[in-house]
Parts: sequence; structure tokens; C-alpha cells
Amino acid sequence: MAEAVRHRTEVLVVGSGAGGAVTALELASAGRDVAVLEEGGEHADDDYGKSSPEAMRLLYRRRGMTPILGQVPLGYVEGACVGGSTEINSGFWHRTPREVLLRWHAQFGLADAGVDDMAPHFDWAEERLGISKYDREWPKSTRMFAQGIEAMGWAYQEVPRAAPGCLSTNACASGCPTGKKRGVSRALWPTAREKGARLVPRCRVHQLLFERHRCIGVLAEVEVEGGRRVLARIDADHVFVCAGPTETPALLRRSGVKFHVGETLRVHPMLKVAARFPETIDAHQSVLPLLQVKEFWPDVSLGGAFFTPGHLALGLSDNWPETSDRMQRFRNMASYYVAVRGEGRGWVRPSKLGDGATLIHYDVGPGDLKNLSQGLARLCTLLLAAGAEEVLPAVRGMASITSEDEAIRWLDEALPKANLSLTTVHAFSSCPIGERSEKCAADSFGKLRRYENLYVNDASVLPDSPGVNPQGSVMAFARRNVQHFIDRLS
Amino acid sequence: MSSESSRRWVTVLGAGVSALFLWVAVRHIDLASVKETWRTARPLPWIPLAMAAYVVGHFVRGARLRFLVRREAGLQVTTATNVVVVGYASNNVLPARLGELVRAGMLAERTGIPLTQALTVTFIERLVDGVAILFLLVGASWATHTAGWIAELARVGALVFGVALAGLGLAVFFPAALGALASRLSQPLGRRAHDTAVGLVTSIVNGAAVLRRPLDALVIGVLSVVVWLCESAMFVAVLPALGLAPSPGMAVIAMSVTNLGILVPSTPGFVGPFHFFCSQALLAQGVGAEIALAYAVLVHIAFYAPATLWGAGAMLWYGVEVGATAALARAARRSHRVETIGGVPMQIIAQLAEPPKEAEASDFDRALTEAILPPGGSAAVVGDSARFLAGQIAALPTRVRTLYAIGMSVFRFWVRVRYLRSFCGLDLDRRRAAVAGWAFGTIAPLRQLFRAPRSTVLLAFYEHPAGLATLGAEERRHLPVATTAPEEAHG
Ligand SMILES: Cc1cc2nc3c(=O)[nH]c(=O)nc-3n(C[C@H](O)[C@H](O)[C@H](O)COP(=O)(O)OP(=O)(O)OC[C@H]3O[C@@H](n4cnc5c(N)ncnc54)[C@H](O)[C@@H]3O)c2cc1C
Repeated sequence: MAEAVRHRTEVLVVGSGAGGAVTALELASAGRDVAVLEEGGEHADDDYGKSSPEAMRLLYRRRGMTPILGQVPLGYVEGACVGGSTEINSGFWHRTPREVLLRWHAQFGLADAGVDDMAPHFDWAEERLGISKYDREWPKSTRMFAQGIEAMGWAYQEVPRAAPGCLSTNACASGCPTGKKRGVSRALWPTAREKGARLVPRCRVHQLLFERHRCIGVLAEVEVEGGRRVLARIDADHVFVCAGPTETPALLRRSGVKFHVGETLRVHPMLKVAARFPETIDAHQSVLPLLQVKEFWPDVSLGGAFFTPGHLALGLSDNWPETSDRMQRFRNMASYYVAVRGEGRGWVRPSKLGDGATLIHYDVGPGDLKNLSQGLARLCTLLLAAGAEEVLPAVRGMASITSEDEAIRWLDEALPKANLSLTTVHAFSSCPIGERSEKCAADSFGKLRRYENLYVNDASVLPDSPGVNPQGSVMAFARRNVQHFIDRLS
Repeated sequence: MSSESSRRWVTVLGAGVSALFLWVAVRHIDLASVKETWRTARPLPWIPLAMAAYVVGHFVRGARLRFLVRREAGLQVTTATNVVVVGYASNNVLPARLGELVRAGMLAERTGIPLTQALTVTFIERLVDGVAILFLLVGASWATHTAGWIAELARVGALVFGVALAGLGLAVFFPAALGALASRLSQPLGRRAHDTAVGLVTSIVNGAAVLRRPLDALVIGVLSVVVWLCESAMFVAVLPALGLAPSPGMAVIAMSVTNLGILVPSTPGFVGPFHFFCSQALLAQGVGAEIALAYAVLVHIAFYAPATLWGAGAMLWYGVEVGATAALARAARRSHRVETIGGVPMQIIAQLAEPPKEAEASDFDRALTEAILPPGGSAAVVGDSARFLAGQIAALPTRVRTLYAIGMSVFRFWVRVRYLRSFCGLDLDRRRAAVAGWAFGTIAPLRQLFRAPRSTVLLAFYEHPAGLATLGAEERRHLPVATTAPEEAHG
């Protein structure tokens, strides 16, 4: 018996991203014995800020090749490294809007998650991440966007970021080499380790192990010294799955946990455009545009996208024969997006072909299409009003929009579905929490139904689309949930 | 009673019922003339047609099951159909309709919904089946001239299903009352029994909730009628095989009577009751006894063979999948070799093989990359971009990668036919033309095929120092990119 106890960890956390890092830090701060298993590697600053191909190889799941399939396929990426997607995101920060929390309560029976309940958790996370506005002069790509918004007279917001003292190196998507953009590997992990949390990088959990309704541990593939890999069993009293919105449901389903798991994936579908201005913008040398148009929220948001020559080429590639010459003018260009709330629904399944892959499916809803079309019309008019000579959307057959008349047509017409090149980096809701057992995988605090000691605590728990960049919601909910767990334990 | 002995009783009872029906069905029949009927029968194309109609019916059943559980679980139609067929196949090899339990069990395993809820769903399916069959029987009896006992059977059926429907109606329209009733009745039995009873009723109520919306109930009703029309088509298709006119009315009556008859639990595959009720239905419509029995045997084959084979295949597939999970869990039985890795105690179960090496670019990857890239790229930038392409394609999930490989094989074959040369053997201009024809053409799936290589290669090119140099741009700050030596890359 003593032997068995010695080999157990009190709490295992699978995944070290936004949800997993918060979970581990809070548990360690409460004096609990906690270990985190992370599939990806741990990287020093000089691994960050490399070219996109190199960054994809080092930091992204499947090198960024995780398409979401459906009638309209969506390009999707997520992080697979210590810190998860927070290492490659732009750090834009939002609190979950009051309206969204109210809806989650009404529709999912989500208990104790009002604005006041959540406020201390947001305060905590904002302090750790140094959430603040950009403290220098806005870069040109932002100023042009602001000019357009002003001309249209729309409501907007400069979005605060987890990047205090940002040096505008434009390397968010390849890991910030200056350390100013605070992914959780920089913002939370050092403290978590100080407090005793252990982190095992390059350790992929394959399966959860059960004895009846108790999760007794996990089966994982671990890299040991010399690059050797072993299959190991790790026993635990409690297990938190924080492997992200697609891998959490895949792991649970692979382990036989299926009730409302992976059935309700939601995303924010996004359509990008490139705008060409008469003057030099040099968007490739500055932080991405910092404003979001809120006039049409929650259905539609307009904002600025990451820009490098490589990413510009990618965006133009649908109409390459007509648009490739614009590459020579890349210094006059910047990228922007239309993001919609995401009314469609998707699913996540582990692949049955033994390749450890995850199949992700999402059907863009008719509402999404309407919102994308109207959003494109508005974004184009905004950019033209800002002085853009042309706007080039990632829509096949629509190489360039040069007049407001051409743009405004999409207020009333639907974009051709088959011609859209959509992307997303915001996925959630694949294991929704709440008291409504007929639609929620876990209770209001992430404890999976029918299991005594198994929890989810990452983007998959958000009951529905938050309608804003999700990292803030993920972290605040993760802290709320793990604190509830700690209270129960003690 | 132990489960072993109850299983024995079920088997004996089922066999008894079957033997009785079989005996009643054949006792006055001249088996020699049945044989003669088969000898002169024309199975082609009728029996395969009958089987096809039956298989289509199963897909409709699958669609209905998917619809029934859609709020709880996202089953694909193929998986739902497999669940249905496994139930049918199990009924074909297990006595006393135990296949219904297998079907509910598999539904619970595939979706994660509680077993009681899965059983409720199976019960609802059976109930709407019964109602649909009665509906068709009454319609066909009205349209054709049928014996009095068939009308009698319809009346009995209506009574049985009416009572069951009333019970279901309670769960559908008064869920709260049913829950309160269960709670009140089970309270005296202690907390555990109370919780179990309430949990049970909640599952049943959740399962039945799908019928609450009139439109949903209508869809389920319509799908059920389509299911049984497909099954009737199977019965119609067998008639001409025995020289009978393909009368839809006669077939619908035979189908309805047979299916109501086999509700009685009996032996595996309903041998006996199936033949009895099916032949009686034909007899009642003036068909000779020998032909009626021969017909029943043929329909039974069309009914038995496809579902049993298909069900066995599906069980094998899912069995392997569930077995693989179980095998991993078994592998994880306590090992005594404990190591501490990263400060975490781990029990080492096995050494694993080396991870696969970085994918190398093939000649085709290089030829394709060159055809996509803007003109003037050096050999180094083409090589690096092609290597990036190969790595990205290798990283795709197997399913998507396989589709890509198939698509590219078709493309290469098309190039060979169109230009009478291999893709790699074409000059650059023709390669570019071939790629552009597919990547920017009017056929969406062909465009989709080229999306990954197109965007991957362009990204690699314009993030490469040599690619950036074509734009007069410098390498990004902090960005040591090249996998090739810088001089070579800039060259
Ligand atoms: C490019 C990009 C830009 C974004 N921009 C923003 C933004 O500006 N603002 C914002 O709010 N949000 C943004 N997001 C989204 C945000 O980063 C995520 O919503 C958030 O990080 C999700 O947190 P998570 O804990 O669920 O998953 P993650 O942070 O992705 O962490 C999951 C971790 O689990 C690990 N893991 C997965 N499976 C296993 C396994 N089987 N075993 C062990 N470990 C495993 C993964 O490797 C990963 O490290 C962006 C995302 C991306 C990809």
C-alpha cells in the first residue's frame, strides 16, 4: 500500500496552455502536489521569433496542419509547446461580456458565473499578464484603420494586450523573442515552478485510465534523455484535462468518455483581406493593428491581422494569377479581418487510423455566411474610406475591390460559400460546462459528469462562443474552477 | 436465478416458440412441391433487388436514429446505421430479441449517453415502427381484399401500441410529473434507490424529449413510414421471383403481418414465426400454400443474409477499435519499473520506436514547388520550399493526407495522358500550365487539392531570405530562417 501511495501524484494536469498553466499555478500555490504533462517542447527566447515555417515546426500542433473540415474548410492552428497557444497568439485581451455570461446562465444553467463572480479572476489574470494598452504611437496599419473607422463613425475599441512594453517586432505568431508578449510560459510558469509545480515537456498523454468511475491516471508517451521515448503510466488522485479545445475532447473520447464530449465545437470563423494604400505602411515591421470595430458586435467584429510577406502571399493565393504582382507593393499593404460569432456547430473525434490525429469538423451556419458577407462589405468600405486603393479579400474570383459600390453589394448578397478561404484561431465549447445535464459534459465547475475525480479546464469548457478573443475567458474560468476544486478538497 | 440459468431459459423458450410456429407453418404442406417451386424460381434480378431495398431501409433507419439522438450526440449516419444493423444482426444470431439490448448497448458506447436513455431510444424506435406498420397495414387492407383475421391482428396491434404510446406520451408531455411520481414512490426505499429511480426516469424523459416538438415527431413519423415502405419494396421484389404479380398491396400486407408476428420473442433470426406469418399473409390473399412457404423462405433469406453479414463486419470493426483502447489500458497494468522523469514518478511500460525522421522532398515535390513559385527562384529557395512542403504534407492527419495522395496521383495520371510525359519530365512552362489548370480552374475539388501545396510553398518562399530578396525586403529581425547555408540561399 505504502508503495502505491509513493508512486502517485496528487493532481495531474494534461496541457500547459492558458487553462493548464492557471490550474497548475493555483494548485501549487495552495500547496498541492501537482504535475503537468505537456506534449510540446519547452523553448528559450532564442527559439522564438523565427520565420513562420520554422516557428510552425517548433511551436505549432502538426506544424500548423490541423484543418477543420466541413462544407467550407477552415484553416486552423493551435500551439503545441509549453504555454500552448498563448505563446503564438497576439495577446488581445477581453473579459467575457456581461450579456454572454447571462446567456450562459440562461441556456446552460451555468452557476456562479456572473460578472461579479468572475471579476476577481480577471483582475488576477490581468495583473499576472500585465494587460495594458500599447504605450507608443500607434503603428501606421493601426492609424489607417482608425482613420477608416472615424470616417464611418463606428464604435471601436483599442484592445488591451498581454504585452506590456511591446517593442512592435511583429513576431507574435512565432513566439515573442523579446519576452514582452507574455505567453503563460513567461507569465505564469516561473511562479508555478517556484511554488513546486512540476512540468514534463514532450510528454503526450494517449489515454486516461479508469477504475469504474474514477480516473486512476494516464498512459503517456514521454521523451527521456537522448531523445528516447517510453510508454509510461502515471498514477494520480485527480486529473485535470487542459489539452485545448480540440485535443481535450479527442483525448476524452479516445478514453471512452463521450457524453456531450466533442459534440458542440464552436469557432469564430474569420475572413481576411489585404488592403493596399498609396503610402508606405510597413506592416511587416510593426505590431498588428490594435483596434476592433464593435459597432456590429456580437455578430461581427472587424480588426487587424498578422502580416508578413509570407502571410500576405498566403492570403492572395486564391487569386494568385491576378494578384501575385501586388507582392512587389507589400510595403504599402496591411491585413485585416472580419470575424463572426460562429452560429454553426462542429464536432471533434480522435482519428481511428492510429495516427494520433484529431478530426475536426465545423459547418459554417447560414447566419455565419450572412455575417461574413455583411462584415466584408463593411470592412471594405472602411478601408476604402481610410484611403486604400484596393482591398483584396481571400475569396476566389474576387481578386480586388476598388469602389464602395462593389463593396456594399455584399450587405445584401451572400458570398459564394465554395469560394471562401476561411480561417480561425478561436475554438471552444467542445466540453461545455453547466448544470443542464442534457447539453453539458461537465458541471458548472468542470467536473465531468459520472466521474468522481476527472475535470476539464481549458477553452473547451466555455459553454458557447464568447464573441470576443477567448484567452481572458479561458484563464478566468480556469482559475474559478480550480479554486472551487481546491475549496472542496480542503 | 443466476444469469447462466436465465440465459438457458430464454434460449429454450425461444426455441419452443419457433418450433411451434414452424410446425404450424409446414404441417399441411407438401414439401416436395415447395422444392419444385424453388427450382423453377427466378432469383435474378429479384433477390438482389430485394436485398438492396432492405439495405436502403437500414440507411433510413440510421438517419432516423441520428435524428432521434441529435440533441445528445452527433452520430454520423454511417455509424448510426451500423448501430441499427448490429442490432438486427444480433437478433439474427441471439434468441428472444436480445439484439435490442445489444443495439442499445452499442448506441450507449458510441455516444456516451446512459444505457437507460439508449434503451428508451430503442423503445421509441420500436414503437414508431409498430405504428408505421399498422398505418401501412390498415391502408393496404383498405385498398385490397383481406381476410378477417388480418383486420383482427391490426386491432390487437393497435391496442398494444396504443397502450405503449400512452405510456410514452406521459414521458413526453408530463416529464416533471413522471419525475415527481418516481421520486415519491422510491423515497421509502432509501436514498440510493431513490437516486437510481430518479436518474432512470430522467434518462427516459431525456430520451423521449425528442418527440415533444410536433415538427420533430412528424419527421420521425415520416422517416418510419419510409423505412417500412423500403421493407415493403423488399417483399414486392421477391414476388416476381416466384412468378407472382408484383402487387404492392399484397407485399405491404405480407410485410406488416410478418413484422407484427415476429414481435413475439423467439429463436435467432425469427426462424419459424417469420415463415409462419409471412406465408399466412399470402395464403389469406389467395396464394397457394406451397408458393406461400417458398416465398417466405426467400424473403427470409433476403432479410437475414445482408444484415447478418454487415452486422458482423461492423462489430468486428468496432470491436477492433474498442479492443485497441482496452489493449492500451491492459498494457498499463502496474509495472514495477518506476522512474522519476521531470520529478514525476512514472511506471515504465515499454520502450517506443524512434520517431519518424523529417520528411524528405521527392522529385515530384520539387517539380511541383517550382511550378507554383514565382519565376526566378534559386535552386536553394526551391529546395527549401519543397522540403517545407513535404514536411507539411507529412504532418496532415492520415485521412487528409491519403486524400491528398490520391488526388495528386490522379493529377499525375492526367498529366501523363494530356502531355504524354510524366509531370517531372515536363518543361517548366508546361508544368506551370498544368498546375494552374487545376489550382485556379473552375472545378472546386481540384482547386481544393492544390490549396495546401499552393499556400505552403508561397509561405515558405516569401519567408525565405532569397524570396524576400525578390521583393527587395530584408530578412525579418530576429529571424534566422534558412535551413540552407545563407550564401547558397542568397545565391
Ligand atoms: C495564432 C493564434 C492567435 C490567437 N490570438 C488570440 C488573441 O489575440 N487573444 C485571445 O484571447 N486568444 C487568442 N487565441 C486563442 C487563445 O490562445 C486560446 O483560446 C487559448 O490559448 C486556449 O487555451 P487552452 O488552455 O484551451 O489551450 P492551449 O493554450 O492551446 O493549451 C493546450 C496545451 O495542451 C497541450 N496538449 C494537447 N494535447 C495534449 C496531450 N494529449 N498530452 C499532453 N499535452 C497536450 C498542447 O500542446 C498545448 O500546449 C489565439 C490562438 C492562436 C492559435
